[in-house]
Amino acid sequence: MSNLAISLNDLDKTYRGRVHALRGVSMDVHRGEVFGLLGPNGAGKSTLVKILMTVVRPSKGRGTLLGEPIGSKPALAKVGYLPEHHRFPDYLTGEQTIDFFGGLSAVPRRVRRERIPKLLELVGMSDWAGKRVKTYSKGMRQRLGIAQALVNDPALVLLDEPTDGVDPVGRRDIRDIVRRLAGEGRTVLLNSHLLSELEVVCDRVAIMVQGKVVRQGTMADLTEPEKRYEIELTAPLPEAALGELRDAAPDAHPVELSGAMITAGTTDPDSIQPLIAILMRKGAVVKSVRSHRPSLEDLFMRAVTDPETGRTLAPGAARENTRGKGGR
Amino acid sequence: MLTQTLALLTDAYRELHAKKLFWITMVLSVFVVVAFSGFALTPTGMSYWIWDFENRINSSLFPPELFYKFLFTNFAIPIWLTWAATILALVSTASIIPDFLSGGAVELTLSKPISRVRLFLTKYCTGLLFVGLQVLAFSVGWFLLIGIRGKSWEPEIFLAVPIVLVFFSYLYCFCALFGLLTRSTIASLMLTIVVWLCLFGLNTTDGVFVTMRENTILKLEDKRDVVRRREEWAQKRLDEMKANGEELPVPDGVMSTDTLEAINPMIRTGRKDVAELEKTRESRVRWAGIISGVKTVFPKTQETVALLSRWMVSKEDMAMFQPGGGSNVRVNDREDAGEEAEDFEFGQHPKLGERIEAAKRNRTVGWVLGTSVAFEAALLVLCCWLFARRDF
Repeated sequence: MSNLAISLNDLDKTYRGRVHALRGVSMDVHRGEVFGLLGPNGAGKSTLVKILMTVVRPSKGRGTLLGEPIGSKPALAKVGYLPEHHRFPDYLTGEQTIDFFGGLSAVPRRVRRERIPKLLELVGMSDWAGKRVKTYSKGMRQRLGIAQALVNDPALVLLDEPTDGVDPVGRRDIRDIVRRLAGEGRTVLLNSHLLSELEVVCDRVAIMVQGKVVRQGTMADLTEPEKRYEIELTAPLPEAALGELRDAAPDAHPVELSGAMITAGTTDPDSIQPLIAILMRKGAVVKSVRSHRPSLEDLFMRAVTDPETGRTLAPGAARENTRGKGGR
Repeated sequence: MLTQTLALLTDAYRELHAKKLFWITMVLSVFVVVAFSGFALTPTGMSYWIWDFENRINSSLFPPELFYKFLFTNFAIPIWLTWAATILALVSTASIIPDFLSGGAVELTLSKPISRVRLFLTKYCTGLLFVGLQVLAFSVGWFLLIGIRGKSWEPEIFLAVPIVLVFFSYLYCFCALFGLLTRSTIASLMLTIVVWLCLFGLNTTDGVFVTMRENTILKLEDKRDVVRRREEWAQKRLDEMKANGEELPVPDGVMSTDTLEAINPMIRTGRKDVAELEKTRESRVRWAGIISGVKTVFPKTQETVALLSRWMVSKEDMAMFQPGGGSNVRVNDREDAGEEAEDFEFGQHPKLGERIEAAKRNRTVGWVLGTSVAFEAALLVLCCWLFARRDF
């Protein structure tokens, strides 16, 4: 059995009208991890998820889902999916909705009967089981959506904006459900704009911008190069002191000085001790020493910012240059 | 696989159950059955609840079960089920495919381990289920009506279920295609009604051409008959003249093919008319053939429904309901050599209805159903192909 829940290789998608939604996406999601997919609007996240769920066909590239080629029915039977802006039939009750999608996932009736009350309990919707979906609020529909995504006891769960329209209590509940799913050994792929939530629950993330994966890895991998210590003094230090500081702490490279603020490129507390010693010897008063770790938002903003112009990249998928091209 | 099919069928039932129009149509169907049950035959004609009407169709000529079967196949089915109820059914079911394809709904369904073709065909069958249940209820009503009022239990009434279902499926396959292409309920409904009107127009054109052809053939037969009688009379007169030694009205006393015409000049006019009618017949047979050829390709809505009448009411019984039927009318009975044949106005020939009915019944079930179902199947294959390839 493959260790990868999802493996994508050079996936490309161009819609009619030459909207280039995905540009050679390669990505691996390991079994049992919570993987966050983030990116600005129109970055291609939903297209990517739709390709995995066979709702959209890729223009190029290959991939596997739970070790089977994308589109394999046995693999789809082991996947739970909550689409963004999903719409359940208004004429069904919550219980009937889960039952219907369970049936479509080929879950036997007897099993569904046992599972549905538990799932409704899990998402806090037991009291609404017999009510028609049309009477549900947005948040209740999201909860129901999660319940239907779990009716087939999936090995992989794809949640596209699961907290969209959900109140803070609901968000916390959904976060707990995701943690619980991960605890049960299931793989969860979360597609969300709420970076703080992803940061809390995800083991690994991928950042997509204009149809490409620009950064990918564990939170530690992504934040490691940008971790640093910041030493704040009560008064600015002369520039001449910088050379001495650098010589004293070669393990804290690079050491930068900016007025009353000294930054050292290390996460090791031992490495900055010589710096503090020199500063004290020079009579400088240390106001604070902080270990700085960039947030997911910092990483995200950096990824969506053009390094040359410093401007945020335009939202939306890239439009293919049609000049001199014969088609997709 | 069975689990998925059962889930889809259960959902289809729930969807129909939730549609108000389904129940409205059902109630209206019951109302129509009750309305028709008011008709009864009396010794002098017909009655409707408390009102009596004198009519040629009365209980001395027609057994009551035949009368109700005639009402069922010629009025209840063609007027109610295949017009009014069909429009209601189209309005109710036109949204099934667009709703299924709407954003947010289709993604969930397509992500399940079930083939797109199966999904599409099941949704298609949901629309047919609507009509199937309606016709079944309607047929049960008529079965009881004929059984109770006509004192005859006629299980062949239930042939209406597959027949009307097939008829509706001809229209619904267009509705499904338009729904798939436009994803709009209104657009698919409107376009389907336009197609229906076109099919109706084609059927009507075919009916007109068949009527014109049969009318010309009847006229030609009548005219030939008249000419034959005149020739017989002239021949008889010629023989008498010869026997009596009378002078023959022949130029220079030479006998020729025109001798009979010389004795009765009306023969020449008759032969000319026959020649002209033969030309007209050729042209009308050709045009009727062309229209019939065009019609072969498309679904035959009216003829499919007419199959029910063909199967339930025999040709002889049907003739009794035609104008002149059951009264032993003889055509051109008054004619003799000196009288002109009765020249009926177009469509007024007493045998025309019977001939048209016979012409319609001569079209095989294979031609009526086979070609129509083949067209529907081709359209469904196109729908499935489009649905299977589409991104949502």
